Amino acid sequence: MPSKHTKFCNKVNFSTDKYQLLHIIEKQKPYFCCIKNHLQTNYLIHEKTMKETKQLKDQLLKRLVFSFLTALFAFSTLAAQVKTVSGVVKDANGETILGATVLVKGTAVGTVTGAVGDYKLSVPANGKILVVSYIGMKTIEVPITGTQINVTLEDNTKMLDEVVAIGYGTAKRKDITGSVSSVKSDALTAIPVSSVAEAISGKLAGVQVTTTEGSPDADIKIRVRGGGSITGDNKPLYIVDGFPVESIGDIPSNDIEDLTVLKDASSTAIYGSRGANGVIIITTKSGKEGKITVNYNAFVSWKKIEKTLSVLTAPDYAKWQYELAMLKYGVPDSYEQYYGTYSDIDLYNNVPTNDWQNEVFGRIGFTFNHNLSINGGNEKSKFAISYNHIDDKAIMQLSNFKRDNINFKFSNNPSKRITLDFSTRYSGTEINGGGANEQNEVSSSDSRLKNAMIYTPFPIRNLTGGSGTTDDTGVGNLYNPLVSISDNDRQQKRATFNMAGSAAWEVYPNLRLKSEVGYDNYQNSDYRFYGITTYYAQAKVPIPNQPAVVLSNDSRSTFRNTNTINYDFKKVLHNNHHLNMMLGEEYILLQSKEMTTSIDGFPTFFKSNEAFKLTTQGTPVSVDNFYNPDDKLLSFFGRGNYDYDSRYLLSVTLRADGSSKFSEENKWGYFPSAAVAWRISSEKFMESTSTWLDDLKLRVSYGTAGNNNIPSGQMTQSYQSSTSTWIDGFTSYWGPSKTMANPDLKWETTVTRNIGLDFTLLKGKLSGSLETYLNTTTDLLINFPVPGSGYDTQYRNMGETENRGFEATVNWVVIDKKNYGLNFSGNISFNKNRINSLGIMNDYGQASGWASSEVGVDYWIAKGGSVGQMYGYVSNGRYEVSDFTGYDATTKKWILKDGVVDCSPVIGTIRPGSMKLKDLSGDNIVTEDNKDRKIIGDANPVHTGGFTLNGRLYGFDLSANFDWSYGNNIYNANKIEYTSTSKYEYRNMISTMADGARWTNLNADGTINNDPVQLASMNATTTMWSPYTKKFVFSDWAVEDGSFLRLNTLSLGYTLPHKTLNALKIQNLRLYVTGYNVFCLTKYTGFDPEVSTRRQTTLTPGVDYSAYPKSRQITVGLNLSF
Amino acid sequence: MKKIILKSFIIMSFVAFLSSCSDVLTAPTQSSMDESFIFSTPVLAEQAVMAIHQSIGETNSYRGRYIPYYGYNTDIEWYNTSEKTTDDKPSLTGYNPSVSSTNMNTADNVWAKMYEGIERANLCIRGLRTYGDVKNNTQLAQLLGEALTLRAVIYNDLIKAWGDVPARFEPITTTTIYVAKSDRDVIYKQLIADLAEAEDLVAWPNGSAVTKSTERVNKAFVKGLRARICLAAAGYSQRPDGVRQSTDPELTVAKLYPIVKQECLDVINSNTCKLGTFEQNFRNLCQDNVTAGFESLYEFPFSNQPERGRVVYTFGIRHTSTDKYTQLAKGGETGPLPNLFYDYDKEDVRRDVTCIPYVWTNGVQVLNKIQSWDFGKYRFEWMKRVVTSPNDDGVNWQVMRYADIYLMAAEAINELEDPTAAAPYLKVIRNRAFPTNPTKVDAYMETVSASKETFFNAIVDERALEFCGEMLRKADLIRWNLLSVKLNEAKTKLTAFANRNGSYSDLPDKLYFKTAADGESIVIYGLEHGDTDAAGVALNYPDPGKGWFISNGTNNLTVDKINSLFQTDPDTRQYWPIWQVFLDSSNGTLKNDYGY
Repeated sequence: MPSKHTKFCNKVNFSTDKYQLLHIIEKQKPYFCCIKNHLQTNYLIHEKTMKETKQLKDQLLKRLVFSFLTALFAFSTLAAQVKTVSGVVKDANGETILGATVLVKGTAVGTVTGAVGDYKLSVPANGKILVVSYIGMKTIEVPITGTQINVTLEDNTKMLDEVVAIGYGTAKRKDITGSVSSVKSDALTAIPVSSVAEAISGKLAGVQVTTTEGSPDADIKIRVRGGGSITGDNKPLYIVDGFPVESIGDIPSNDIEDLTVLKDASSTAIYGSRGANGVIIITTKSGKEGKITVNYNAFVSWKKIEKTLSVLTAPDYAKWQYELAMLKYGVPDSYEQYYGTYSDIDLYNNVPTNDWQNEVFGRIGFTFNHNLSINGGNEKSKFAISYNHIDDKAIMQLSNFKRDNINFKFSNNPSKRITLDFSTRYSGTEINGGGANEQNEVSSSDSRLKNAMIYTPFPIRNLTGGSGTTDDTGVGNLYNPLVSISDNDRQQKRATFNMAGSAAWEVYPNLRLKSEVGYDNYQNSDYRFYGITTYYAQAKVPIPNQPAVVLSNDSRSTFRNTNTINYDFKKVLHNNHHLNMMLGEEYILLQSKEMTTSIDGFPTFFKSNEAFKLTTQGTPVSVDNFYNPDDKLLSFFGRGNYDYDSRYLLSVTLRADGSSKFSEENKWGYFPSAAVAWRISSEKFMESTSTWLDDLKLRVSYGTAGNNNIPSGQMTQSYQSSTSTWIDGFTSYWGPSKTMANPDLKWETTVTRNIGLDFTLLKGKLSGSLETYLNTTTDLLINFPVPGSGYDTQYRNMGETENRGFEATVNWVVIDKKNYGLNFSGNISFNKNRINSLGIMNDYGQASGWASSEVGVDYWIAKGGSVGQMYGYVSNGRYEVSDFTGYDATTKKWILKDGVVDCSPVIGTIRPGSMKLKDLSGDNIVTEDNKDRKIIGDANPVHTGGFTLNGRLYGFDLSANFDWSYGNNIYNANKIEYTSTSKYEYRNMISTMADGARWTNLNADGTINNDPVQLASMNATTTMWSPYTKKFVFSDWAVEDGSFLRLNTLSLGYTLPHKTLNALKIQNLRLYVTGYNVFCLTKYTGFDPEVSTRRQTTLTPGVDYSAYPKSRQITVGLNLSF
Repeated sequence: MKKIILKSFIIMSFVAFLSSCSDVLTAPTQSSMDESFIFSTPVLAEQAVMAIHQSIGETNSYRGRYIPYYGYNTDIEWYNTSEKTTDDKPSLTGYNPSVSSTNMNTADNVWAKMYEGIERANLCIRGLRTYGDVKNNTQLAQLLGEALTLRAVIYNDLIKAWGDVPARFEPITTTTIYVAKSDRDVIYKQLIADLAEAEDLVAWPNGSAVTKSTERVNKAFVKGLRARICLAAAGYSQRPDGVRQSTDPELTVAKLYPIVKQECLDVINSNTCKLGTFEQNFRNLCQDNVTAGFESLYEFPFSNQPERGRVVYTFGIRHTSTDKYTQLAKGGETGPLPNLFYDYDKEDVRRDVTCIPYVWTNGVQVLNKIQSWDFGKYRFEWMKRVVTSPNDDGVNWQVMRYADIYLMAAEAINELEDPTAAAPYLKVIRNRAFPTNPTKVDAYMETVSASKETFFNAIVDERALEFCGEMLRKADLIRWNLLSVKLNEAKTKLTAFANRNGSYSDLPDKLYFKTAADGESIVIYGLEHGDTDAAGVALNYPDPGKGWFISNGTNNLTVDKINSLFQTDPDTRQYWPIWQVFLDSSNGTLKNDYGY
């Protein structure tokens, strides 16, 4: 042996006898057993205390690893002797397991068990340990002794030993004191979806996921426990591999190892300032030690629009247009101009019609997605690389979506105590098509769905886009639906590149230093085309009525440096006391800018493709390269986790955040939190329950988290240069921002209180948790409207909101046999939002703006209420003939009886059949001011949740995921637009207003009937009012119950027998077919109850206006690994 | 290896330590500039003043709301579909507006835009006074004068539409964000003082490079505006306690009329402006001719490229379809009362420029309806551009013209001195109206100069004839305390006209018309006193004639239409209410008076 070992060992004084030492070593690191003899023969061992032994053991081990690994390597190459090992793998019930992986540790040698759980393996001489694993069971390691090794695998009572991310570290689920939910990769890959958010929909208690519409890039709203801010963005903080990111939409679900949601402040406080709305931590897949595995997952899917709404037939449409012209003008001129004379109306009985919904949204969508990942490594280094590609042709014409992801992770241990990690992620997304609406709209009149719904069903001579409006702006005209979507074309390309490296060093035993550096770059190019039918091209540009484009490029880069020290007080404390402390410092710098170029005046025949590429054919109007102020955050944080005997647990966190968004005095926010947990099941008095109760833990936490989610630069009123198209001779001006500065701004703070109970019963067969919480958010950062002051809005700290709720999660293994099994898991969340205070205000209104300014304020934000309260009139059916004294032929008016409420200020001209509203003020007249409106709906659900059933039978697996929402209202704005005229003519309607259903005033001879008796009898069977109103009216008729239960996915898979696969050297092959959005039980009459399209502010949730319709989808795919 | 890592740790911590010491948490704005630099640099300060124009221009500001809806109905002007009384616009113009008017009750509405403009002006004024060397730098002086003047323009219009309003003469701070309404007298006094300061800062028309254009404020306009504001401040108006004059000793006729006189005479004596023909002023306006030194004193500079503003769109002769003159088929939203045509002397050249009985359809003039005449001062067909925007026409809004200076002078001098001293100024305007008949003018001047009262009445009449369609009438009637009187008078006249009673009894039944040889102009017979149906029929025009007053046995000018001139007593509704959205967002500091 090399002399240095001798030298080292000569200095060693051992306390116990050599055999004891060797026993310890053996227990700790079984693979050192091979050096036993060597030690026995060469070294002297002296007496010392036990404590010293431990220290020495570590030192010794360290040295030994260095030297003997080298030695062994040399040795094994000299004597590369191979032996064969075989055996059977069984489960706890004694049944054999097919398809278990058996691997020689530290090598790439491995196999999979056959039909009777048998395996046979050639073990190289350096192979000392077998690693045996199977999905759903605990992985175990067995020393290779002898040639026959039978293994029994135990069920994985994973709830307890599962490791979850907790922010700057991980913890075992059993040691968690806060409120944490998580989803693992197996749940995510079994049913592939294109985005993470879809994957977690309905799976996590306390996390509400709303897919706002059906487009492939639809905004997915994730809310953790309701969200505390009023006008602020309530989106949670997303952390991907330690890095804060803006969105998780570009991460393929296949790449995710683990997704964890931190819900209470004791968990989120470690993220301090940004944790107030919850934290979602995503860990992507890393390399694993062992044989290189290749996974390939692919699927194709077809999709079709979920639901269409029927519209009036051609003759009915023509008839209504005639009646409308007569009602509006008393003469049919505006009808005859386009439709011919009334006597020829029967021509429309057989006129061919266009099914515009089908033309625009009717195509069969097709998606192809595949994912390749390679993963492997040895003790020293591990790697994972994956590539994902999705190509999605959506159901809407001109709309498609593509994404490519490359993920690479590498980790290396140059020495036992040092770990180096490096990862890069790239994501490139391309989205084509303008969708049915957009949040950054120029005018709601450019929303596209209405064209597909209520554009004239047959071609009409002379009818141009400008026809049919009596208003001044030309807003609200309809255009050919196909022209309208191509005139609103849009092309978005996003690229995210992320790079991170870290080094961790265990300086002394149990003292770990870790330093991480990361860089994230985001580039987004958003090209928007405005054809000549758009409001923008008609009215907002210097050269009107010619195509225009707005090309914007955003870039954002984030630099992050985090340094942490972690110390485990193992050595200092007695056996049952455990304490772990972490201190850290973090600096995040975010720089961003936006470049916006507007070019107008393209030749009128130009479409998007030409206009994007031949920009010199247009006239540049403005170029604005705007640099935002940097957003900097410097933080110091610390956490201590203490437990006694895993029975009493305490966790204390403090974070101090300094943000560049606030003034010197208000920069720093301090966010402390504490949590205690009591494992009741470990108490002596619970011993009697141990036969059926595995674990019972009570958790209580209290803590604060902050929020600084406002734009940078609110401290001083700075002058900005803006382009102008309004002033002769000037193209730009210097003015203050329209948002008034507020130097007094400070952190918004959320205090959360959480009580939770975790339980595991019946050997892990039944587990779950119950939680209740109360979150109070104070000093809300509100972008407060201050119209009339000289500014539009001002950010303020004002008011207080609270969210209180209850969540329950349960997992139940109903049956678990070798060849069949059934699992159920479900969760339910109740959340109640309440505005405790609005500071100086009591209430204020907010307009969702779907009908430009016609509807006005339709949401009401009031103390004592909640965000999402809809505000409008109360419907009172329609005026009947009996409401009138009669018709006055001279004034050509119907005279209301005394005491009958007059709705004409809102509805316009009143006659029998007109829409009727309730008079709330008692003055017998319904007016446009606030007197006759009230809260008529609430977008907040009473509870939401989901449940999953998983079954397996031999090679087959079946899984059904349901999710639901109960008790929320939807503001069906589409319905209002499709059933009332407002100021427009020539618009079609949905069949709610079909002839026979709607009130009719029309005699067969084409005159308007004003005879009370006849009119009443003509309408004896009609139920709806007459669609003729002077403007759109929001009443409780348009507020609908949005409760639903959806079978989100139903998946049937088949895993091929391993026997067959072994021959092909394939580890695993699963084929599956999945249906998405299989059914949705709901009373909602619109397209889909899961909708929210007016999202420019968070104050107007739950509006269904011009949403991209959702689709139903069927997928066929495979999961392959070898 | 260990050493390297240890070193990196040390370096890392050091960097972190360093960064935490320096300005690690300061993040200045980047795409912005400092106030001190902007207001000491003329080219930048000028763009800051342009921000005030921006506030005036934007969609729902003056461009789309104040100019199109303020100022009528009066005894000479009305909204052409004012009979639809429950609609929003007739309610606005018919003295019965709702606080939640769909046109007005939006957060970006003209009220907000006016205060935005005021805030921008306040920032400019503070900035220029603090950082701009206005004593030595004439460019910066001009800009300060412009900011003061534009602020006065906006305040004057605010008071015209809403009576008492919040006074803000300093940039807003967090503590002054909510303020109650001020007595308008406070604001008037400040404006009169501000304009006195501004007069000395800005140049006469053509006195500097920027004042060569009527799109920039010049000394003649500042003086004229000061005179206009003095007249308003000294006059009657509806106050929370009723219609009355100011009780402020500073705002008496005796104190303010001398200022009016002086300012007007200053302008006249400066000889920096000149009256052309009546029609020429409006042709210049339509043709984007902004050369200073003529009749126009100041215009809101709506952009021509792109086309911005709704002047012809709202007030012009209507084109019911697009034609070679315009791709924007608009105009005729509002027009003169039909009987106004007969208030003009037949020889008054202003009549046929102002009152237009036809519209354009498919490029040809066709007879309009008796109840909806159009103003002829604004015409697409006079423009040099063909308007292509669907919403805007790009024509400026003329805020003041030279004729107003003469008439204000005449009014003030009559009050301070006597008709004889005042007469020459009225006569200038009268002469221009009758370029070929000076004798008629002399005779008229003699009649009206009989007394202070007759002369005052002549001014009241003259301003109607001169400024019809320029939206000055309502404010004039209010300050003279004649709003209700004159509107009731107009109703009587309209009724007589509809029924062809009294002075209208000699008008024929029908109008007889044909298209002239040029293929587009209309030739009409039957409008003038003395025309007869017999003579009309004898003309043998292709059409047998149009029932002008009556068709199908009913009056075209209906009782409803006449009654819709005002829906409530105008003197109880001289002002619009402050819209609900602004009340809601005022933290309880604002309320509506005047019976709302």
